[in-house]
Amino acid sequence: MKFAIALFSAAHAPSSRRALLFARAALAGGHEIVRLFFYQDGVYNASGSVVTPQDELDMPRQWRTFVTEHQLDGVVCIAAALRRGVLNAEEAGRYRREAIAVGAPWELSGLGQLHDAVQDADRLICFGGA
Amino acid sequence: MPKSLLIISRQSPWSGSSAREALDIVLAGGAFDLPIGLLFLDDGVFQLAAKQDARTLQQKDLSANLQALPMFGVEALFVCGDSAAERGLDPNTLSLEEIQVLAAPEITALIDRYHQVITL
Amino acid sequence: MSTLHLLSHSPFGDDRLTSCLRVIGAEDALLLSGDAAYALQPGTAPFNVLGTRGLKVFVLAEDVQARSLPTPDWAEAIDYPAFVELSIHYDKVNSWL
Repeated sequence: MKFAIALFSAAHAPSSRRALLFARAALAGGHEIVRLFFYQDGVYNASGSVVTPQDELDMPRQWRTFVTEHQLDGVVCIAAALRRGVLNAEEAGRYRREAIAVGAPWELSGLGQLHDAVQDADRLICFGGA
Repeated sequence: MPKSLLIISRQSPWSGSSAREALDIVLAGGAFDLPIGLLFLDDGVFQLAAKQDARTLQQKDLSANLQALPMFGVEALFVCGDSAAERGLDPNTLSLEEIQVLAAPEITALIDRYHQVITL
Repeated sequence: MSTLHLLSHSPFGDDRLTSCLRVIGAEDALLLSGDAAYALQPGTAPFNVLGTRGLKVFVLAEDVQARSLPTPDWAEAIDYPAFVELSIHYDKVNSWL
């Protein structure tokens, strides 16, 4: 079964952790994740600028490890990311901003990537809100 | 056959970027010629209220984008009749003329018809 | 076609559960996660509605456990592998974000 997983909530939201546990369980069950797509506040999960207190779950780091280990396609919506200051080197250069928050394994791209994933997958699962 | 996607928009146009970002998914799907439906539910029906003034709140006017939906190939437009009635909106005076007003059982059937759904 | 409706907001002071129950179909199911699990608080309005509607109700086991909520006999507590299987069993998942 091919899953597209879309995440809409910030890194500290419980739904972001649920999305990661679902994604892990999907792979462990022998399924495929065609793409992770971060939209709205979900873009914060790709941010390398988040500093999590040591005794709390570091979601951006967990996502980064998960995506890297399984060589997944992790796409961050570029418009949502720009609006929230989650820039990669290219966008920081384009808009002359000092802070670079996103790098590998994440790719900044458009909403077409969400539609493309929906077309490719058997199921779209969205996580967000509370 | 491309898979169809239903977007259910539940937020008022003035509650932050959620309504706009829901609409952006719809417009992007329309631009790719995908079968996209848009249902306004709960506070989302306020996006359809007539004579709103975005400038007062220094916002961009969402209703102009809504009017452009048919031009983007998005013609499957629906509104929950109960949500509109509860919020004192007359379905006949909504800013989108081509919109279909649905009762609850019709919304159940609508969700059923689409391959995937995103509720924002 | 069937839909698994996924809720994660508390039913108290939020209308997602009410809206969901308005449009949920006979073939559909409800999965409570996060604060939506508070719908299983006995003696409350959401609890009574869910218990009498005859719906298929699932809840994430970790969320009832963390909140010390009972799982009534009309609901089923599931783990993440079962969540994945449910999302396959139903034709689509509608997350009320």
